[in-house]
Amino acid sequence: MSLLEMRGIEKRFGDVRALADVDFELEAGEIHALLGVNGAGKSTLIKILSGVYSKDRGSIRIAGDEIALGAPRAAIEAGIAVVQQHPELVGDLTGAENIFLGQEHARAGLFSPVNARDIRSRAARLLDRFPIDIDLDRRVEDMPAVDREIVAILHALRLDSARILILDEPTSTLTEREKESLFGMMRTLRAQGLAIIYITHHLDEVFEIADRFTVFRGGRRVAMHGVAEARQAAISIPNLMLDSVAGEVFPPRPTHAAGDIVFEARGLTRQGDFQDVSFAARRGEILGIFGLVGSGLDELSKALFGALRPDSGSLHLHGQQVAFRSPAQALKAGVFLVPGDRRTEGLSMQENVIFNTTLANLGRASLGGFLRFGRNRRDAAALAARVDLQPRKLDRPLRGYSGGNQQKVVIAKGLYREADVYIFVEPTVGVDIGARAKIYALMRELSEKAAVIVMSSDCNEVFGIADRTVALYKGAPIGVPSRDTTRDHLLHAGIMGEAV
Amino acid sequence: MTRTTLFIRILAFAAIVAVIAGLFWLQNPAFLSTGNIRALMRHMSVNGVAALGLTFVIVVRHFDLSFPGVASLGAMTMGWLIAIGQPLSLAIGGGLAVGLLIGIFNGIAIARFKLPDIVTTIATGGLAIGFSYFYSNGTSISRNFFMSGLLDINDGRFLGLDRPFAILLGAALVGLLILNASRFGRAFYATGENRTAAWYSGVPVSAIVIAAFALCGLCACLSIVLLVASSGAANVSAGTQLLMPAFAAVYLGAALFGRPSVLATLAGTMLMSLMLNGFTLLAIPYYYSDAIVSTVLILAITCFDPRISGALRRLLPTRKETPA
Repeated sequence: MSLLEMRGIEKRFGDVRALADVDFELEAGEIHALLGVNGAGKSTLIKILSGVYSKDRGSIRIAGDEIALGAPRAAIEAGIAVVQQHPELVGDLTGAENIFLGQEHARAGLFSPVNARDIRSRAARLLDRFPIDIDLDRRVEDMPAVDREIVAILHALRLDSARILILDEPTSTLTEREKESLFGMMRTLRAQGLAIIYITHHLDEVFEIADRFTVFRGGRRVAMHGVAEARQAAISIPNLMLDSVAGEVFPPRPTHAAGDIVFEARGLTRQGDFQDVSFAARRGEILGIFGLVGSGLDELSKALFGALRPDSGSLHLHGQQVAFRSPAQALKAGVFLVPGDRRTEGLSMQENVIFNTTLANLGRASLGGFLRFGRNRRDAAALAARVDLQPRKLDRPLRGYSGGNQQKVVIAKGLYREADVYIFVEPTVGVDIGARAKIYALMRELSEKAAVIVMSSDCNEVFGIADRTVALYKGAPIGVPSRDTTRDHLLHAGIMGEAV
Repeated sequence: MTRTTLFIRILAFAAIVAVIAGLFWLQNPAFLSTGNIRALMRHMSVNGVAALGLTFVIVVRHFDLSFPGVASLGAMTMGWLIAIGQPLSLAIGGGLAVGLLIGIFNGIAIARFKLPDIVTTIATGGLAIGFSYFYSNGTSISRNFFMSGLLDINDGRFLGLDRPFAILLGAALVGLLILNASRFGRAFYATGENRTAAWYSGVPVSAIVIAAFALCGLCACLSIVLLVASSGAANVSAGTQLLMPAFAAVYLGAALFGRPSVLATLAGTMLMSLMLNGFTLLAIPYYYSDAIVSTVLILAITCFDPRISGALRRLLPTRKETPA
């Protein structure tokens, strides 16, 4: 009998089935990796386990007993401890105080004293149970990132009843050495009989630390293997993670050859974000860069647009070296960024379609400083038709539109700018499938007159839309942009950092 | 905002004005006499010009608490220049320059050096009041005022309107052109809505914030020119009475019209002046007026809050809250 058994779990959000008939089991004393691309269903499963979402169908058993989760409190009582991806700690308090935050008082009552000695002895008891080398009397602010992660884990395990520990991408902010000490702690916890569910995007870590792994794809469990067995049978995890059909959302690739080089990066470096990035974007083709969250992709896009300054390396536009000190300069030179976070970087959500469409080119929208209202409305209407905005209500504030249609407005804004280089970052996050096809078609259309660069953490997307692709792994490009990169090679390079 | 909703909001505003005016008129028919309406418009001019400047700062989502102090310094600077015999145009120019310069200083401190707006402007306002004592050790200045022609600004007429009101309309027209008809207006609103998105769209957000504070300082000093012209003396506390009516006018207007704008501020100022004038006419002691203005201000910021205004809109098809 497994410690945790989930059978036939289903979860819907409106029309979207986030989980369909999912089974999952977990043994005491194992580290079980949960794998899958963004939106595959890992997070939904974890949220059901931690009581944030309630399941629509299926059963959950812990040590044989059927339990009804559905509230965080119920999950905690069932012995499930969750550490969020970015745990919230109080920097000003010590590690021990953070672990017992909210439970400082031995007795109930407003005036019962906070007992520092009591907290320390409880922390010591916790460390007896889980022998980890950490100084819990230090202020969290002064701790290295890995110790903070450990404090968050101990916080989750502070109750004696904890039997299952869920770690959501704990290594994303850690250095290589810190990662090792976190893994050491995980092995210690495993030795104490704890079952650990471990979410990660980095496949190399799976082989290092996990005993078994489960792969999700499109809301279904597609595989569950022991790590040793997978290594022996040379099972390709990337293949399991990706859909076999790329889908028909992508427009056909053009047959004609690409044109002149428009935008070029040579050895672009920004310490801590990306190193030695070189590429050339040509008119008539789409250049794709694939990288996971945290790979430096977002920072790279901002450096190309003048929103961040690179430390070294150079940018060349139409053969001339350029250095943008602000987005305004980049726009003026003819570079437009469709930013990854459209709500905070791309749009004024309270303002209407005309306002947003014309904002990046107010010179064109005005004459002698005064807005040309009639003309701007006509221009916005034409662009709304071109990007197929639904519904086409020019006076409606952007917050009244769906994610996909908001993204279309960002693209309309770019079209109004008539740039020579378009950089798309995560262009279809939160965009429904219908709008996706239209956005891809627009990108292809734009590439006829301008250079288009797509940067995304969705490997399928990069592979499906771009003509030449390259992966960015921990800030470094793996290989050079090439037409011959296969999808598997791209995925491998992006999540394991290996050129195949 | 579509034309229909704008029209509904204007109707609602007119209804509120009619109700308030009607109530006061029932209490005292003199409320709608020509003399009182002219007094009301003159009162509205002083507060309206100050509120216009503040509108720009509120649009870029900042606060300026320095303008009352700045206005006092502007008043004393102008008074001193007149007293030492400088021509009126130079004196007024000097007063306005004070407002412009301190406004730019505020803007640079807040936009470039990222200092907190409220604390910074409290400090610069205090500094301005401190400096305003230098001219005369704090005594009020009125030398040469009668000869200089300053009082004509209050007493004169222009196109059949009292001159202060004409100045308010002129300032409002300029403000309307900048904020609602020019590319710069777009930049002000975009900066206020979402600074990051505005910056990514090529809007020079720091320059826009500096401009907003500069306009606020300038308008505060223009409004104090009107006030000094009507009272006939410049003193170091001249500006203190501007603070609350200006904030109340901007927020009341924003609550009525859904967002801060020049027309909204004019409407807000008009409501404030209607009430204050009416209460004066009913011989309600002046010290209550501060309490009334404050109450209206709290009501206005409550209604401007999107959660509350949303709830109100669901409750009522067209909004009809009658202030005070």
